Amino acid sequence: MSEFFQATVLLGLLTAGVRLATPFLFAGLGEMLSQRSGVLNLGVEGIMLIGAFVSFFVAFESGNLYLGLLAAILAGAFMGLLTAFVSVTMKAVQGISGIGIHILGLGLSGLFFRLTMGSISTMRGFPRLAIPILKDIPVLGRVLFNQNWMVYAALLLVPISWAVIYKTTFGLKVRSVGENPHAADSLGISVTRVRYICVVIGSIMASIAGAFLTIGQHEAAFVNNIAAGRGFIAVALVYFAKWNPLGVLAGAFLFSMIDAFQLRIQIIDIGIPYEIPVMLPYIVTIVVLALSTRGRVLGPTALTKPFVRGVHT
Amino acid sequence: MKKLLFSLLVLVLLAPGLAFAGGAAEVDDGVLRIGVILPSGRDDMSWSQGMYEGVSAVVANMGAGNAQMAVTENVPNPVDAGAAIRDYANQGFNIIIAHGSQYQNPLMEVAADFPEVTFAHGTAFETSSNIFAYDPQAQLGAYLFGWLAAQMTNSQVLGIVGPVRAGDAIKYNYGFIQGVEAANPSVRVLESYTGSFGDNIQAKEMAEAHINARADILTGTAQQVVGAIQAVSENDGVYWFANDTDQSPLAPNSIIASQAYSWETVVQYMVDSHMAGKLGGEIISLDLTNERIQLVFNPVLADLVPADLMAQFESKKADVASGAIQVRLPE
Amino acid sequence: MSAIKKSVPSVQSIELRSVTKRFPGVLANDSVSLSFESSRVHTLLGENGAGKSTLMHVMYGMYAPDEGQILVNGSPVHFRSPKDAAEYGIGMVHQHFMLVPSLSVLENIVLNYPSPRWPFLDLAAARERVVAMSNEYGFGIDPDAKVWQLSVGEQQRVEILRILFRDASYIILDEPTAVLTPLEVKEFMGVLRRLVADGHGIVFITHKLNEALEISDKITVLRSGKVVGETTPCDTDKNQLAGLMVGREVVPTWQKRGAAGEKVILSVRNLSARNNKGLRALNDVSFDLKEGEVLAVAGVSGNGQKELAETIAGLRRIDGGEILLGGSNLAGLDVKQRIDSGLAFIPEERMTMGVVKEFSLIENVILKSHGTPEFASGIFLRAKKIRDSAVQAIKDFDVRTPSADVAAATLSGGNIQKVILARELSSRPKLLIAAQPTRGVDIGASEYIHKRIVQIRNEGVPVLLISEDLDEIISLADRVLVLYEGQVQGIVPPSTPVEEIGLMMTGGNTHYVVDGCEDSETPPTTH
Repeated sequence: MSEFFQATVLLGLLTAGVRLATPFLFAGLGEMLSQRSGVLNLGVEGIMLIGAFVSFFVAFESGNLYLGLLAAILAGAFMGLLTAFVSVTMKAVQGISGIGIHILGLGLSGLFFRLTMGSISTMRGFPRLAIPILKDIPVLGRVLFNQNWMVYAALLLVPISWAVIYKTTFGLKVRSVGENPHAADSLGISVTRVRYICVVIGSIMASIAGAFLTIGQHEAAFVNNIAAGRGFIAVALVYFAKWNPLGVLAGAFLFSMIDAFQLRIQIIDIGIPYEIPVMLPYIVTIVVLALSTRGRVLGPTALTKPFVRGVHT
Repeated sequence: MKKLLFSLLVLVLLAPGLAFAGGAAEVDDGVLRIGVILPSGRDDMSWSQGMYEGVSAVVANMGAGNAQMAVTENVPNPVDAGAAIRDYANQGFNIIIAHGSQYQNPLMEVAADFPEVTFAHGTAFETSSNIFAYDPQAQLGAYLFGWLAAQMTNSQVLGIVGPVRAGDAIKYNYGFIQGVEAANPSVRVLESYTGSFGDNIQAKEMAEAHINARADILTGTAQQVVGAIQAVSENDGVYWFANDTDQSPLAPNSIIASQAYSWETVVQYMVDSHMAGKLGGEIISLDLTNERIQLVFNPVLADLVPADLMAQFESKKADVASGAIQVRLPE
Repeated sequence: MSAIKKSVPSVQSIELRSVTKRFPGVLANDSVSLSFESSRVHTLLGENGAGKSTLMHVMYGMYAPDEGQILVNGSPVHFRSPKDAAEYGIGMVHQHFMLVPSLSVLENIVLNYPSPRWPFLDLAAARERVVAMSNEYGFGIDPDAKVWQLSVGEQQRVEILRILFRDASYIILDEPTAVLTPLEVKEFMGVLRRLVADGHGIVFITHKLNEALEISDKITVLRSGKVVGETTPCDTDKNQLAGLMVGREVVPTWQKRGAAGEKVILSVRNLSARNNKGLRALNDVSFDLKEGEVLAVAGVSGNGQKELAETIAGLRRIDGGEILLGGSNLAGLDVKQRIDSGLAFIPEERMTMGVVKEFSLIENVILKSHGTPEFASGIFLRAKKIRDSAVQAIKDFDVRTPSADVAAATLSGGNIQKVILARELSSRPKLLIAAQPTRGVDIGASEYIHKRIVQIRNEGVPVLLISEDLDEIISLADRVLVLYEGQVQGIVPPSTPVEEIGLMMTGGNTHYVVDGCEDSETPPTTH
């Protein structure tokens, strides 16, 4: 038991927590933007899978990881346009069409993997990139600043998202469109345009989250269904976060740190059935959510509601 | 209402068939048809891929004019699998292999309706006149690997990355731990489970946690291990014992040896029995004596195991195969 | 900041020439020609559905006219969106406020307004200007308050500030007074006068005759999409305007007979309940309702009226207190049991709670009574009986419909309300609760509904009437109960001056009285 509290184990825990949180940050922040504009993108999981496959395939074939990432961005944008077309232009019921996008992503990524690669292959992904000076900060340096650059990018996206949403004219438009599209429309804001932009950016970020699962790992590989439900957790985290980027950060870290913790609590074998630690991240997140819903939650009230001029819902 | 209809339509249009079943067959053209249901993808580098390759090899040997196969993959859910099993039976398939312990109930149900068809499933023990069960003795190789790992570890800590505490995984882990205890009881074995068969990223993080806790030789089962093997190959001086198939191509510098099931011989046995009129009624064991289990050492790491240790290993192996050493199974 | 207000209005005149706007099955505006000038309050008067809002949406660029032309300062313009109209200096306050509740006042005001620090917001500069404008017009709005924290009147002022912030010189106000208390209306009239004095042009949409007569420089009456009259307050009176609006003379067809009885039918004792947010909405409410009496509940929307109706109807749990109907406590009874004990309920949300939109009129009429032996034998409905009875009720209650089989959703608000009345009153109730029975209903149907309510009152059935329309309350009530923040402010006779009732509705805030008195001394702008 005592060895569990050794410095190396704790450092390993925290480092793993940050690593595990990264895909949630990309996908969660993207989903938050999409939901802020009033579109529930439940297809995040499928888009992550597409991003995971496309980035790995292109990087594997070209030998260039950045080319792989670019491909993931383009694929994410395409999936975003498709999602926006279905949800915004065609005004489909977003929960159902999102599941469609998920199944499409799951099917396409598996199918293309089979057609193009056929078997599991591995390659080197983005290496660790220690940040000079910062990496020497005790504990924090090892935990935060000795990761690969995608982790840094995900962390940087938190303040960037916050600034975009709360400090820019675009962010104000997004918030208004997600809460009262009629008001936005009456002031000449194109609800459709804002929603398309948000859904596409959100989908690109989901796709990058997928790329992190393959080429963002030191040893990269694509396997079927590699996202394994992370996209859905990202969607849930947005609710947990009450549509606030800092909340996404908190939720992603809470979930991932507890996940990293439970992986380690299992191996010290304190005689509890393994199912309990496995469930722990979910349980704690739900409990925190339940305890924190007190007070007024000002979510995007037009979430999942297609906009029709003159029809107030 | 219209929106809902449209949404459902989109759902249907966007969802390509994930599983594909073989085309409709005419019965009685003399061609032996084998249908295979796999819980994961046929290229998962483990359980499903092993069986897929085994059936493929048998069919290729028989020639396209004599045998054909069809595969339904990625059906972890027994209810969906049940539909696929019945579908194959209706289409006139002769041998239907449901490759997972979870398929037992639907398989027994369909088998009762098609007495002329051979059904097979495993890891399982339930048989009937037209059902074969097969039972890989995963604990045997695991025992030997555990024994060897306990001799080889520098840190005196080993790790097991388990999927879900059930079926083959328990047998394998139980055997591994017995092997470690036989060799050196002071070596610690960290045993933990991800809660999923297919979550590679989680398995990778779990392996990292083991390595964090100074484990230097790891092992594990199910298709998720691809992730764990990635973690092992990222760390120098850390090695892996593999299960299901020869996984050394995944990480040639990290995998010491693999316990590989020879599904080809199992499938061949069932085909021969079927053609001879024996449609089932037997538990087919995969073990060391019948060479349906092979312990494949990775030639790249041949130097890692000293010759004298290798010699001891071979004699242990003979003892396990002969039953001189009894490997217990969990109750 | 020199740009506190724009001194020279850019719009001198707006002219609509033969504007026609069609929607599927509806001719909303039929060749309407009108002209508007700056520094004037021009009132558009008409019933719901007369085409006032549609006409203004055309003028504001939300809809393109099917035929006709818009001219600003004499030159034709083509507005493709409200943004185009805004660039010409035309602004509009919509009937549904176009504000984003979770955003601050300031954020709502600068929404989609070019920022000097693009892509970032420049709230500091905007704040200065908004505070200056707010002070100039005496709005007293905190620029950093969230809109959801503001009262309806304050929200309306935010809408006006937003328009002024964009240097609009012509402002369209769509039914701005519908949501205000009498005192707020007075304040609002003051704001309009100040805006006009500054050179702004105002279009004031209303269906309230008093207001039109009080504030207008010019009144245009619309009916069925056409202009049916143009006049000024000096040249007309209430009756003439009402006649123009409805197209016939409006005479009350009902009369209250006899005083209310003495026998207490409904007795509410120390009732407390919470609203949907879990906050206390009713606090220790007590009153008696007597035989043959209309007790009207007055109050600004959201002060517990809805919760009061729902607790009595059994749709909301009570926290404390009791509700005695004919001496027996209703508290433990479910909705069905309350209906069986003689309770009839006309809910506020007529489309969601009053009718099943997709059901036919017949089905809606027998919703409550379909299980009775008269309409059902065992588990089967007696179709013929049901149809005959429902068709009769639809006829009795003057529901204007092509057939009894059409879905309720296809009818107008007034006719839907009549269907609900038919259902609720045909069961010979012991008590009627009517929540906002005539809101959004045209004059003709309103008259009919009032007639029915008074009729059952005259028959001795007590009525609890909840309304935000003080005219309605004063004309129907035997007594008026004023609710403020879930508490009974007092129960007064309907002869009480409107100002006093209005004061009670706002919790007796004297600030409003002073303002109101000052305003009332200002003579109406006429010329």
